[in-house]
Amino acid sequence: MAFVSSGYNPDKPMENRNSDIGPRKFDEFLPPVIKKNFGAWKYHEILEPGILVHVAESGDEVYSVRCGTARLMSVVHIKEMCDIADKHCDGYLRFTTRNNVEFMVDSKDKVDALKADLLSRKFNGGSYKFPIGGTGAGVSNIVHTQGWVHCHTPATDASGTVKVIMDELFDEFTGHNMPAPVRIAVACCLNMCGACHCSDIAVVGIHRKPPLIDHEHLDNLCEIPLAVAACPTGAVRPSKVEVDGTTYKTVAIKEERCMFCGNCYTMCPSLPLSDSEGDGIALMVGGKISNRISQPKFSKVVVAYIPNEPPRWPTLTKTIRTIVDVYSKEANKYERLGDWAERIGWERFFEKTGIKFTKHLIDDFRDPAYYTWRQSTQFKF
Amino acid sequence: MAQVEYEGKTFEVDEDGFLLKFEDWAPEWVDYVKESEGIKEISEEHQKVLDFLQDYYKKNGIAPMVRILSKITGYKLKHIYELFPSGPGKGACKMAGLPKPTGCV
Repeated sequence: MAFVSSGYNPDKPMENRNSDIGPRKFDEFLPPVIKKNFGAWKYHEILEPGILVHVAESGDEVYSVRCGTARLMSVVHIKEMCDIADKHCDGYLRFTTRNNVEFMVDSKDKVDALKADLLSRKFNGGSYKFPIGGTGAGVSNIVHTQGWVHCHTPATDASGTVKVIMDELFDEFTGHNMPAPVRIAVACCLNMCGACHCSDIAVVGIHRKPPLIDHEHLDNLCEIPLAVAACPTGAVRPSKVEVDGTTYKTVAIKEERCMFCGNCYTMCPSLPLSDSEGDGIALMVGGKISNRISQPKFSKVVVAYIPNEPPRWPTLTKTIRTIVDVYSKEANKYERLGDWAERIGWERFFEKTGIKFTKHLIDDFRDPAYYTWRQSTQFKF
Repeated sequence: MAQVEYEGKTFEVDEDGFLLKFEDWAPEWVDYVKESEGIKEISEEHQKVLDFLQDYYKKNGIAPMVRILSKITGYKLKHIYELFPSGPGKGACKMAGLPKPTGCV
């Protein structure tokens, strides 16, 4: 396509430049009934999975219909949402913090038509465009990251793994079959963008091989002290290497100290480490961020390695299915996955889920590792 | 990788226009880059920032933190942006011939 100028003048880049205006103020986009009753809500109810009603002190009601989205979406898809909002909701909609979309209407008689419209829309492949659900004690959307779609440090994919997990747990999305909400998150490397460290179930991409070192270019492309300081285990040190008669300033990596986090590659493009056979997924469970009953918890590693099996990741989905099934059968009402595992004891968690306990799960990172071992005789056989 | 020729000199650059080798830097490089960084004329203040970045990089092997750049040159971040509209990383470091900033930027 030919070049079409927006009016920006590259010869005078600072001319007519507008900056530091921030986002639009949220209340410009509030539906009238929400604007009117702002800060004056009395109670809410979940009418059915995916559909909520909030009742205001004035007696006004708002019905929200929550639908799953893939998070990564085209403008065509956003336009379709806008069409739905125009047709049923006077042009208003919102996105939740788990990237679901909510359509809001101000009376009950509008809900059925909206619901029927949403469920009638499918992609050509057969997937629901706007599946209704994600409320209450179920599995809502998966908070996830870039994966092989856009990032340069991933050890697994995000959109792909999320699609297969949500396919497996679709009934949990459209139902309230769990003891408490189950939050699932996916991060494609240990940077853990998103919510993996504090989710009921977390999928994290890991490497299992140390970085390759591009000695010839390292000094030119990298700030060596940054790569050295990036290592959590002190495995990287500056060094000199001779290649074809030329001496290069570079780094050396002590492989027995490297745990393949990939931090040095983040700082230095000459230390790539992704590997199709080595890379895979670690599964963590038991995190939460709310203060309800128990304090917030970190999630803990329970499966050290699941191979990458694109496009459907069968081992990953099967393991998650097992954990979800055992948890939903065994846990008490209101018990989050971490609350349940801590109540019955982690040895019982491994027994009931059938997950194999390996040496990789025992913490060995610095002094705090000691506190994760058992200084007690209290243990079930 | 792409090569740039300017006033008889050849520079090897990456897709973001950073020099691949610090040793390739020459005064002509600043002249070549300044336009794409929205700079008309290299003033003494520009030169002071570039000189400091190069000295610091030669001595320490890294680019200075923004606070150190500010403290040594005496220019507040706002003034550095007035000098280099793309900022200290994309603007000043690129002109000084330092490696491209890395990490979650």
